[in-house]
Amino acid sequence: MAQHGAAGKGYYRLVLRAPELADAALPGQFVMLRVSDNLDPILARPFGISAVIAKKSIELYYRIVGRGTSMLSGVEAGRLLRVLGPIGNGFPAPAKETVPVLIAGGSGFPPFLFFSTYFRTVSPIVVIGARSRSCLPPYAAISRFKDRAKKVYIATDDGSAGRKGLVTDMLSSVFASTKEQGRFVFYACGPRGMMAAAAAFAERHGIPCHVSMEERMACGLGVCMGCSVAAASGGYKRVCKEGPVFDSREIDWSEQMLLKLRK
Amino acid sequence: MAAITKIKPDLSVDFAGIRLKNPVLTASGTFGYGEEFRDIVDLNKLGGVIVKGVSLRPIKGNPPPRIWETPAGMLNAIGLENPGVDVFLSEKLPYLRNFNTAVIVNIFGSTLDEYVAVAERLDRVSGISGLEVNISCPNVKAGGIVFGTNVEATFDLLSALRRATKLPLIAKLSPNVTDITVFARAAEDAGCDGLSLINTLLGMAIDVRCRRPRLANCTGGLSGPAIRPVAVRMVWQAARSVKIPIIGMGGILTAEDALEFILAGASAVAVGTANFVNPLATLNVVKGIENFLREEGIETVRELVGKVMA
Repeated sequence: MAQHGAAGKGYYRLVLRAPELADAALPGQFVMLRVSDNLDPILARPFGISAVIAKKSIELYYRIVGRGTSMLSGVEAGRLLRVLGPIGNGFPAPAKETVPVLIAGGSGFPPFLFFSTYFRTVSPIVVIGARSRSCLPPYAAISRFKDRAKKVYIATDDGSAGRKGLVTDMLSSVFASTKEQGRFVFYACGPRGMMAAAAAFAERHGIPCHVSMEERMACGLGVCMGCSVAAASGGYKRVCKEGPVFDSREIDWSEQMLLKLRK
Repeated sequence: MAAITKIKPDLSVDFAGIRLKNPVLTASGTFGYGEEFRDIVDLNKLGGVIVKGVSLRPIKGNPPPRIWETPAGMLNAIGLENPGVDVFLSEKLPYLRNFNTAVIVNIFGSTLDEYVAVAERLDRVSGISGLEVNISCPNVKAGGIVFGTNVEATFDLLSALRRATKLPLIAKLSPNVTDITVFARAAEDAGCDGLSLINTLLGMAIDVRCRRPRLANCTGGLSGPAIRPVAVRMVWQAARSVKIPIIGMGGILTAEDALEFILAGASAVAVGTANFVNPLATLNVVKGIENFLREEGIETVRELVGKVMA
């Protein structure tokens, strides 16, 4: 662990020196990181890669959401941790005549940091949403988006920063405020409800849409079948193998919403 | 204690007529059909692979959440997702045939007839060394009572399978029973060539804020180091009640864990959840057993089977 520290807004930023991994990493891929050097907790945790640094290290951002991330937050720089990756299919590379619209809700923004620095032939529109100002990505991350984006839109549910409302309300404004809608390609990463709404919006307007799904994971290798998400074609697809990035039409959003509503 | 031997220890095992180059296999449901581990574990180094359970027809599995981590373990309610026996034969088995390792196919069904139909499909297919029968499934014809928690159902099922195939038949016992020896003997009496135990323990976890179970299925199977003492005890009890050989499993992470099972009476072991913790776990266990034999001056792993002084 080369660097590890609080990044603001409740996020931690960590840099792992892992040359082979960094060299192979693509935007949209993730890693399974063991958060201690023993068997507690027993399973590794998945984190989306937010940057590759000098082809030697990968950067991750995370919040404390449970036991594993809580333990990770106490690990000091200089320690060695086991990491498996890069895992998954990554985002499809955007064609240079397209305008990627990166829709990041809550803690879904890290893979888009990688997307925006890696794909340099396009200039994305970035739409960031959070419950409130205190849950937005750290200032440094938003700054990085501003360096690469055509425009960055911010929406908070409670209006404490940016525009009041959901990310998907913002999409209507974004869509209306430009003559380039025909070149839009949506990429969404965040809470299920947000992605379902983004997918529905995309469907209504004939916009291609790719979603980065997330589910509890055990192996990260495709063998335990734990991370499966409901597929529109019936059956399930593995987030770690067939994903994490899916064409939004591949996902059965009705079951996603049913499961979300149970919470 | 004997002087440390200079001869390479012999790890080979003859299990129910299946020749294993070493006693370490992968547990069903934790290694897929081998391909995902292609760049990680050389299957030629394993004693055998027990593949993810195969049913007659494809099964989609349960809605998520399917897994939940617990202290020293995890719960799973995957729901037996698999592509069905036809796809297994056409798409999965060919890859496994490339390797010099035993391929044991785990099978299951929701009725006795389905189990028999799968076994008949697999009988006499080249590349299959044996069948492991998952009896921990509900019998839909008997109101969903799990085969493996009812002795008569267990005996009837395994007897029918014995008639259906000449392949080595291994009964994977459920630990969710009062007396494992009753089921061990039923399997032996039905004509099984071996046993494997234990399958997962039935467990549950609850999200106290939402007041809901952590798994969509409510309950699930507990695996990992947490269950090892239960598994070792059951292997010990079963080994004393039958003559047929046993594959011991339940929370094996290291060679030392594996040796506990062997001393308790297992002729071979299966490594499961450990594959998620360290994908190289199986290879570490093989190497570790070899080192142990060398250090203890023991020539063959076979001579340790059942040698706990209890």
